Amino acid sequence: MAMNIRYVARETGTNLRRNFSLTLASVVTVAVSLTLFGAALVFAQGVGNMTARWKGGIEFIVFMQPSATQEQLDSVQRALEDNPEVTQVSYVDKPAAYEEFKQLFARSKDMVEAVDENAMPPSFRVAPATSDADVIQALGQAFQKKAGVREVVFAFETVRTMQRITRIASIVIVGVAVFLLVAAVLLILNTIRMAMFARRREIEVMKLVGATNWFIRVPFMIEGLVHGIVGAAVAIVGVQGLNWAFDRGLSNNRDLKIFQGFVISGSQMSFTTLLLVGLGCLIGALGSGIAVSRFLDV
Amino acid sequence: MIKLENVTKIYKGEVPALRDANVNIDKGEFVFLVGASGSGKSTFIRLLNKEEEPTQGRIFVAGKDIGALNGWKVPYLRRNIGYVFQDFKLLPTKTVFENVAFALEVIGRPSHVIKSQVPAILELVGLTKKVDSFPGELSGGEQQRVSVARAFVNRPLILLADEPTGNLDPATSVGIMRLLDRINRTGTTVVMATHDRGIVDTMRRRVIELDKGHIVRDQSRGVYE
Ligand SMILES: Nc1ncnc2c1ncn2[C@@H]1O[C@H](COP(=O)(O)OP(=O)(O)OP(=O)(O)O)[C@@H](O)[C@H]1O
Ligand SMILES: [Mg+2]
Repeated sequence: MAMNIRYVARETGTNLRRNFSLTLASVVTVAVSLTLFGAALVFAQGVGNMTARWKGGIEFIVFMQPSATQEQLDSVQRALEDNPEVTQVSYVDKPAAYEEFKQLFARSKDMVEAVDENAMPPSFRVAPATSDADVIQALGQAFQKKAGVREVVFAFETVRTMQRITRIASIVIVGVAVFLLVAAVLLILNTIRMAMFARRREIEVMKLVGATNWFIRVPFMIEGLVHGIVGAAVAIVGVQGLNWAFDRGLSNNRDLKIFQGFVISGSQMSFTTLLLVGLGCLIGALGSGIAVSRFLDV
Repeated sequence: MIKLENVTKIYKGEVPALRDANVNIDKGEFVFLVGASGSGKSTFIRLLNKEEEPTQGRIFVAGKDIGALNGWKVPYLRRNIGYVFQDFKLLPTKTVFENVAFALEVIGRPSHVIKSQVPAILELVGLTKKVDSFPGELSGGEQQRVSVARAFVNRPLILLADEPTGNLDPATSVGIMRLLDRINRTGTTVVMATHDRGIVDTMRRRVIELDKGHIVRDQSRGVYE
């Protein structure tokens, strides 16, 4: 089907202008919902990065000396694996430890530069069978005196609390965001429906002279997509802004040491950005798609 | 060009608007549909355009059974059928030129075709001086010329006209009829529903008379009554 780009651009432009207030309402709703969604995602990612090493029931970590020998490593590993109180042990070697260090201290470039891979302590991450704090404490302490062990670090109560709060906050925020997303779809649907009503004479003539269904639909579909994409663009700016403000607040505050690890990597930000654009398109396509298929029959 | 085989149309279980109609219209014919209000003239025309589906029977347009046509092909059927209404159906926010160009634009004709065909058709209908006027600035007769131009700009095989002179005074009506006659002479089949006795009696073309959905008369070189 021959589709004149200028025609589509002109029709879409007219529609957007004609329904300015409704268009604005749709865009703002999309933007607010996607900002909430993106912020929740970024926050969860940040906390996830910060507490990455404590995932999956890991309750303590046995850090070895960087100079520990292979025998010492083997001996500690065997002791952990043979212990009936331990359900899972995973070994983190020097390169992996260095990667993690780089991520955790991404905010302090000088620190990362001062350390090299060889100076990193290899470690064992241990998930015990029990959740009894005293038993775990005793279990971990037992390894403190083993040859080649540098220190045993336990999951802080704060880490656990962080994880719990993040989980609850994420669920609440995402719930609100989903609610708003549905509202956004309905608003777009309604806006497109109004646009079609405003153009009912044109649509009638188009049908009579033999314009295809798609030709009639496409400008309205694009209008919906524009709502979604513009809303997503605003949301992306909002999320980046929030992240930036948070980042600055942290850099200036040495007291919040625990948040040092709260760093969103470039690829995580790209993922969030793409996700928001995708969601924006989806909302726009959904709203306008329902509108054109329900209210534009030949 | 147009063939109705035992066509019956009943709107939602009511009395039939068209009953068992059998009609054969050749290419290049000019046919008047006459009959009292509610006799089924508009129904007849809307069936040809597939705006309505027959309850029974088959309709052929340009050799094709339009009842068997896929939904997505209907627009292509309509590109071969021009349609003129009593109330013109012009777009008030577009100029004369834009109204006519719109019909080509929305079926994907390239702009160079639009630029050459629209002025040509506006010259045919005698509106070269009004290209930039809006419908609201035109007389009824001029508006109907624009709508004829829009219906004919794509050179359809068939032109359907539902009371095209219904809103016009007799002198203006004559002008529109001259135009339709001229279009008919290019080989276009014209089917026109009308209540205008004077026009039917002076033109002396084929007349199909409907009465409560029945075809009660089909006469070549006929008169209104
Ligand atoms: N969309 C519709 N739904 C239900 N009934 C309809 C519809 N269109 C027409 N009818 C009925 O079908 C019958 C024929 O109507 P039609 O419009 O074809 O008559 P007509 O000959 O064109 O009349 P007029 O001269 O007043 O234009 C009438 O009884 C009318 O009420
Ligand atoms: Mg009628």
